[in-house]
Amino acid sequence: MKRILLALVLAAATTAWGQKVGQPAPDFTAPDTQGKPVKLSEYKGKYVVLEWVNPECPYVRRHYNSGNMPSLQKEFGAKDVVWLTVNSTNQSSSEFKTPQEMSKWMSEKGASPKATLIDKDSNVGKLYDARTTPHMYVIDPQGRLIYAGAIDDKRWATEAGTKSANNHVRAALGEAMTGKPVSVSATSPYGCTVKY
Amino acid sequence: MKLVFLLLVCFSAIAAPVKTPQVEAELVAERSALVPGEPLTVALRLKAIPGWHTYWRNPGDSGEPTRIEWRLPRGFAAGEIEWPVPSRIPVGPLMNFGYHGEVLLLARVVPPADLPAGRPVTLRAKANWLVCEVKCIQEEAELILTLPVARSAPSDPRWGKPIADSRARVPVAAPAGWSFGARGEEGGASLAIAPPAGVELKQAFFLPFDEGKIEPAAPQALARERDGYRLTLRAAAQPVGQFERVSGIFVLQEKAFTVDAPIMARFADLGLALALVLAFGGGLLLNLMPCVLPVLSIKALGFAQGEGGLRHALLYAAGVLASFWLLAGLLIGLRAVGSQLGWGFQLQSPVAVAILAAFFLVLALNLSGLFEFRFAFAGEPGGQFLSGVLAVVVASPCTAPFMGAALGYAVLESGWRAFLVFTALALGMALPYAALAAAPGWRRYLPKPGPWMPRLKRWLAVPLYATVLWLGWVFAQQVNFLHEKNDAAWEPYSAQKVASLQAAGKPVFVDFTAAWCVTCQVNERVVLSRDDVRAAFRDKGVTLVRADWTRRDPEIARALAALGRSGVPAYVLYMPGRAPLLLPELLTPQRVLEALDG
Repeated sequence: MKRILLALVLAAATTAWGQKVGQPAPDFTAPDTQGKPVKLSEYKGKYVVLEWVNPECPYVRRHYNSGNMPSLQKEFGAKDVVWLTVNSTNQSSSEFKTPQEMSKWMSEKGASPKATLIDKDSNVGKLYDARTTPHMYVIDPQGRLIYAGAIDDKRWATEAGTKSANNHVRAALGEAMTGKPVSVSATSPYGCTVKY
Repeated sequence: MKLVFLLLVCFSAIAAPVKTPQVEAELVAERSALVPGEPLTVALRLKAIPGWHTYWRNPGDSGEPTRIEWRLPRGFAAGEIEWPVPSRIPVGPLMNFGYHGEVLLLARVVPPADLPAGRPVTLRAKANWLVCEVKCIQEEAELILTLPVARSAPSDPRWGKPIADSRARVPVAAPAGWSFGARGEEGGASLAIAPPAGVELKQAFFLPFDEGKIEPAAPQALARERDGYRLTLRAAAQPVGQFERVSGIFVLQEKAFTVDAPIMARFADLGLALALVLAFGGGLLLNLMPCVLPVLSIKALGFAQGEGGLRHALLYAAGVLASFWLLAGLLIGLRAVGSQLGWGFQLQSPVAVAILAAFFLVLALNLSGLFEFRFAFAGEPGGQFLSGVLAVVVASPCTAPFMGAALGYAVLESGWRAFLVFTALALGMALPYAALAAAPGWRRYLPKPGPWMPRLKRWLAVPLYATVLWLGWVFAQQVNFLHEKNDAAWEPYSAQKVASLQAAGKPVFVDFTAAWCVTCQVNERVVLSRDDVRAAFRDKGVTLVRADWTRRDPEIARALAALGRSGVPAYVLYMPGRAPLLLPELLTPQRVLEALDG
């Protein structure tokens, strides 16, 4: 009896603490580097990846210089996954990049997301509670968040070591697209603070 | 020149600091030489330029813990990093945990016992860290420290004191007198802190060892409570894994303690409605308890002789209600003025137990027909009210042993909630008898009054005699009149003893029990005294400690409160290197053996 009680309480407590994963991903509109507004809900019916970026951050640079992030964008772009790279660095920060600077940096790195969003007031970052760059979110075709957290399990790695990491985004998308439940759906993001 | 160089090598440590534009890094040692077989504290010293910081083991919302990879000569061993208390570093709306300026991260290095003297030894380590201002830079360095080997070693003149100071800032297990407990709250958890008597806390905060448990930037409110203090912790907005333990460091102005407390369920989490339903059901069950059933059965037999009616029923219910309110008021009131009481308090006084035993004896003798008095008040106007009171009096020894856990939660709640829970309990208890009194229809099924009635009464006396025996045994325990074959395997409880055993890295099992707690007695006889369980305790070298709450004991009450309990039984297993484990109230041998095996 006591055990049942305790289980009930624990169940109630954990659901009350609101897992963000499993809930609907909030909608937003933000301009891309050309100034064209991009609205998340327009991509309902497709998988969407949100990636938080900041070219000034060494973690982000590691994932771009090693080719890791651009190749993921390419791999999943080919599978009709909508990849949105978001820079929420506030325009008041010394690390803020203009749309032109951002566009240039991305093309230099061979990046190919569906769009690079300039969130100069950091609204989208705060809406998603993005903490670090990189910070990754995966949204399923029903618009539910199915993964939030780190890009992989190698917080500290050389550019070469980045390739051998266990990539959480690839794993989540792979499982979801084959109809399996996402086994690792929340991890601690690592990287630099988002410059709010 | 060569000679000078050799002398240097022999008599002092040689380190090679590595400098980056932001950080100066080097290995430094507490003593000026290595002594074979004796642990030496070696520190990674990181000195960041002003405005820049490095990170703690949990970096907070972002960042990266500093890491050391040792490359030691054969036979050497190095321990984990011992981290001094970090600062909280706000970054916009987010929070990091780390160190501004200079920090010494400590590690114990143990050289082999057969290390030959005379030849200096070089310790090597690869360190990497993230250093941030607004910008962040990842850095790493290969560091070396060459030390002479000697039979004894004095404190290093340059680094001995800074390392000792740094060690003083490494959190340790709280000394005796402190206790910590955690419980679930709406939106997170709270940490209950019971400091030693007379210690006032003004400022305190908690830092978690793991990411994804609590929100690093959320304010933590420290509130004064009856039994100490309570610190509220907001759960992580993006949780990683289950939030089952409050595990981290509790930081005061002068010192910091490590804390690892399992998060206890909070009764209020059930919702008051469910708590009330459970209490009501418990009240119904009370009617079947051996101390209550005979008395109420006799009363109910009165209905066969035409007593009863709605007025009768209401008066009886009012009597039950008033008595439970009185008990609840007494308990809540006494706790409010600072008494360390929990549920079961009514059986902690030998006088109360003796009076109850005598009372039950009179009832039992009466039923046996040894002497005859009518329940004096039956039929009279106030009589039905008093029979309600009587029902609660006879029930009171039974509520403690069987409903201790449930009512214990109610006691920890705020006054009005506890009152509602007691009210539900009272209504549940009053219902069956009041219903029988109010609805006369069922009487048709009773046999006509006749000789079966005195015979039934005699049988009903048996459970009452059993209650008398049990209360007599409790009384004997309380006045130490009857020493139960004292079990040498168990040591009597003191918070000091448990804390010092823990500090010495010894496993401890604490049994919180009371003679009047039936569940406790069953667990002790059926589980804890089994041969295989005892053997397992022996094999693991567990010190068995018994906290006997048969009589009032504020120290035990405080320890229970820190565990989030207000009554017995409670079982805690402390194994070195593992979080303390609170076992369920109903033990099974398997559960205990599993807990021991970890």
